[in-house]
Amino acid sequence: MLFMRREIKNDVLNERLIHSKLKNGLNVYVLPKKGYQKQFAIYATHYGSNDNQFMIPGEDKPMTMPEGIAHFLEHKLFEQEEGSVFDVFSKLGASPNAFTSFNTTAYHFTSTGNFYECLDVLLNFVGTPYFTDQTVEKEKGIIAQEIVMYQDDPNWRVFFNLLKGLYHNHPVKNDIAGTVESIQKITKDMLYQCYKTFYHPSNMVLFVAGDVDADRVIEQVERYFDGKGISKQGPIKKIYPDEPAEVAARVVKDKLPVPRPLFMLGFKDTQVGQQGQALLDKMILNDIMVDMLVGPSSDLYNKIYEEGLIDITFSAGYTGEVDYGHIVMGGESPDPERVVDMIYQEIERLNEQPWDVVYFSRIKKKKIGEYIKMFNSLENIGVQFVSLIFKDIGLFDYIERLMQINYEQLKSHFNRFFENNQSSVSIILPS
Amino acid sequence: MHIESLDIGKGIRLRVLPTKKFKTVTMSFCFHRDLDEDYTYNALIPAVLKRGCEGFETLKDIERHMESLYGAVFDVGVQKKGERQILRFSMEVVNDDYLAEQGILAQAFYFLNRVINRPVLEDGGFKKEYVSQEKENMKNRIRSLVNDKIQYSLERCAQEMCRGEKYSRYVFGDINELDNLDSSKLYSVYRDIMQSSPLDVFVVGDVQPEKIRLLFEQSFSTMDRKRMATIPKTVYKKLQVVPKTVTEEMDVNQGKLAMGFRTNINAADEEYFPLLVYSSILGGGPHSKLFINVREKASLAYYAFARLEKFKGLMFIGAGIDFDKYDQTINIIMEQLDAVAKGQIAQQEFEGAINALVTSLKGSMDQPSQLIDYYLGNSVIGSDITVEELIERIKAVTIHQVVEVAHKVKLDTIYFLRNRKRGYVVHEKGN
Repeated sequence: MLFMRREIKNDVLNERLIHSKLKNGLNVYVLPKKGYQKQFAIYATHYGSNDNQFMIPGEDKPMTMPEGIAHFLEHKLFEQEEGSVFDVFSKLGASPNAFTSFNTTAYHFTSTGNFYECLDVLLNFVGTPYFTDQTVEKEKGIIAQEIVMYQDDPNWRVFFNLLKGLYHNHPVKNDIAGTVESIQKITKDMLYQCYKTFYHPSNMVLFVAGDVDADRVIEQVERYFDGKGISKQGPIKKIYPDEPAEVAARVVKDKLPVPRPLFMLGFKDTQVGQQGQALLDKMILNDIMVDMLVGPSSDLYNKIYEEGLIDITFSAGYTGEVDYGHIVMGGESPDPERVVDMIYQEIERLNEQPWDVVYFSRIKKKKIGEYIKMFNSLENIGVQFVSLIFKDIGLFDYIERLMQINYEQLKSHFNRFFENNQSSVSIILPS
Repeated sequence: MHIESLDIGKGIRLRVLPTKKFKTVTMSFCFHRDLDEDYTYNALIPAVLKRGCEGFETLKDIERHMESLYGAVFDVGVQKKGERQILRFSMEVVNDDYLAEQGILAQAFYFLNRVINRPVLEDGGFKKEYVSQEKENMKNRIRSLVNDKIQYSLERCAQEMCRGEKYSRYVFGDINELDNLDSSKLYSVYRDIMQSSPLDVFVVGDVQPEKIRLLFEQSFSTMDRKRMATIPKTVYKKLQVVPKTVTEEMDVNQGKLAMGFRTNINAADEEYFPLLVYSSILGGGPHSKLFINVREKASLAYYAFARLEKFKGLMFIGAGIDFDKYDQTINIIMEQLDAVAKGQIAQQEFEGAINALVTSLKGSMDQPSQLIDYYLGNSVIGSDITVEELIERIKAVTIHQVVEVAHKVKLDTIYFLRNRKRGYVVHEKGN
C-alpha cells in the first residue's frame, strides 16, 4: 500500500515527475524521459560530511564521530559479504558510483538495459551494510591516497582554505574525506552507528530518470521493502556548533607549486536558517546577483579581463544551505589582491548606482535557458534533484520561482546581502 | 541513431543528427589541421576569434547577445586527435519550441558565421589588443597544465614517449613560439584555414536536415573556399621500442605514475575492436584488473586506469601512489598485462569489459557533445561506422582475439612525478 502518489507537471520544461511516498517514509520520484538510451537512478541519504555530531534516535547522549566518516561509509557500502557490488553491476552492464557532499551521500548507477534488476541491486547494497575490521583497515590505504591526491590539487586547496577563513566552527570548513589522521580512528562499530542513524528510508530519497515505467518502478521499490520489517524511526537530531556571523580570517595564504597565484574570494551569508521557498528565492536572487556582478557580460569582468587580471579560469557562484551559505568567486590571477579590491569597489559603486532593469531581464532569461538545458542530461537532473530535495525544494520549483522574480526584489536583496560585508580571501602563491 | 550526411562541396561536410529527445540544438564547426610546425598559431586562432567579430566587437557584446538568446552557449576549442589539430567553434541554443521567441537557431548560424568569417580587423590583421591579450592567456594556460597533476603526468609521458614525432606537440602550442609570435603570419594562417582546411559541421537536436542545410548555405554563402588541403595520416606504428624511464621531482604529496604503451593499432584497423576490450579488461573501470589488483587488493591507489589514444595507437596507464610504492605498483601492473597476454582472463572480467564499453557507447547517444565527438573521430580516421555498428563489433570480440592484440602492446615509457626529498613522510598533515 502506497502512502501517497501524485504527479507534478511543468509546461515550460514539458516534463512530468511522479512522486510517491512509501509507508516506511521513503520518497520515490520518477522522471520519464522518452527516447533516452540511459536510465539513471540515484539513492541518497540526508547525511554528509557536516553531520559528525548527532544523537542516535532513542539515546540521549550526543555522539561525535571522526572527520570523514560519511565518505568512508560511502566507500565501504560497495563491499558486501558475497563480494564487491561492482561485479554485480558489471554483469548487468551498468556503471555504479557514489559521492559524498557536505550534506548528502548519494549512490547511483547508469544503465542501458537490465534497469529493473539494477534498481534492486542498488536498493539492496545500500540497504545491507557489511563491515569487518579487515575491510575497514584495507580501505584506509585507498582513502588516504584519495586525500593526498586532493592535497596536490590547487583548486581544491584554495577552496577549502577559503572555507577555513569563512567559518570558525561550522563543520563545512573540514575536508569531506577527513584527514589521513582522522580516518585512522574509524572503526566498524562507528560505521554501523552512523549507518543505523542516517540510512533509514525516511531519511532517504530515490530518484529515477529515463525511458522507464514510473508505476513499475514504484511498485518494485514497495515490493523490495515488503517484509523487510523496517520499524519507524523518530527524527534525527544533528548537532552543529554555533557559528558567529563574522568570518574567521580575512585572508588565508598558502604556498604550492603553481605557476602563478590562485585566489578565491568568499562572502559569508549572514542571514541563514530558511528552507523551502524562502531559501529557494534567496538562492535564485543570489544566482542572478552573482552573474550581474562578475558574470561574463558585467562591466567588472570585462575590465579585469582586459587588464589581464583574470582569464577563463575565473568563475563565481552561490551555495545556499539551511544553516550556512556563501558566494565564492575566483581563479588564477597575477595580482589577486588588486582583483579583490576592484570587486569591493564595484560593490560600493553599485550601492550608489544600481544596475538597470534591462540587464536584470537579460540575466533572468539566461538562467531560464540554463535550467531548460539542464534537462538534457539525466545525471545532471538527478544530482540537482538531490541537492534540492533535502532543502525541501522541488525539481520544478526553481524555474517556477525564477520566472516570478522581479527587479525590485533583486535590488533590495543586493543591499541586504552586502550590508554587512563578511568576506574572506584565500590565496595560493607559487612556492 | 540516424545521421544525415550532406556534402556541401569545397571540403565542407554537414552532418545532422535529428532527435526529439534534446531540448537544445548543438552545432559545432570543426576545422581540421595537420599538427605541423604552425600548431601554436592554429591553437591561438580560436581564442582570438572568440574575442569579437563584426557586429559584436567585444566580449561584452557577445555575452550580452548570448544572454538575450536565453543563455546560448558559445564556445571555441582546440583538440588533438592523433597528429591532427581540430579547431572548434560551437554553439548550443535552447530549441525554439521551449521559448516564447522564434528564430534563435537562425540567429545562432548567423552569429557563428560572423565569428568565423568576419573577425575584428585592423591594419590588415587581427586586432592587436586581442592578439596580445590572448597570447598571454594562452601562455598561462600552457603553464597551468601542472595544476592538474594527473593530466600533467599523462601529457609529460606522451611528450617523452613521442620525442621527435609530431604527436609530442602540446595541443595549446609552445610558450617560446608565443613569445616570438608573428602577427601577420597569424592572420595568414587564419586565411589559409578558412580557404583550405577540411570543415565538418555537426548539428544535433530536434531539427530537419534540409532546413539546416538552407540555414547553413544562407549564412555561410560568402565563405571563400579555394582549395582542399590534404592532411597527412597519423604515424601510429613503431615496432622497435626500447623502454625508458623518466622521473620528475616537484613539491607534491602523491606520486603520479604514467605508463605509455605502443599498441600499433589505430581505430581504422580490424584489431581495434579487440584492443578496446583489452584496454577495458586492464583498466576500464571497477571490473578491471588494475582496479581490482592495484586498488582493491593492494590498497596502493585511489585511481588506477588504462585508456587508449585511438588515432596514434597509444595506451596510457595511470595511478596515484605513495612514492615508495613505485616498484611494487609497476610490478603489479606488469603482472596484469602478462596475465592478459597469457589468456588469464576470467569470464566475468571479459563480459564486464564488453558490458562497460557497450553501456558507455550507448550512453554517449544521450549527450550531444559526445555524439559530435564520436562522429568527429570517425571523420579523422575516415570511417563511417555508427555507434550501433561499433557496439555489434565489440560484442563479437573473442578472448582469443584479445590475447592476440595483447602481444602487440609494447611498453615504451614509464614517467613518474615524485617529491623532492627522498624519505619524506607522505602522510604528514598537508595543511
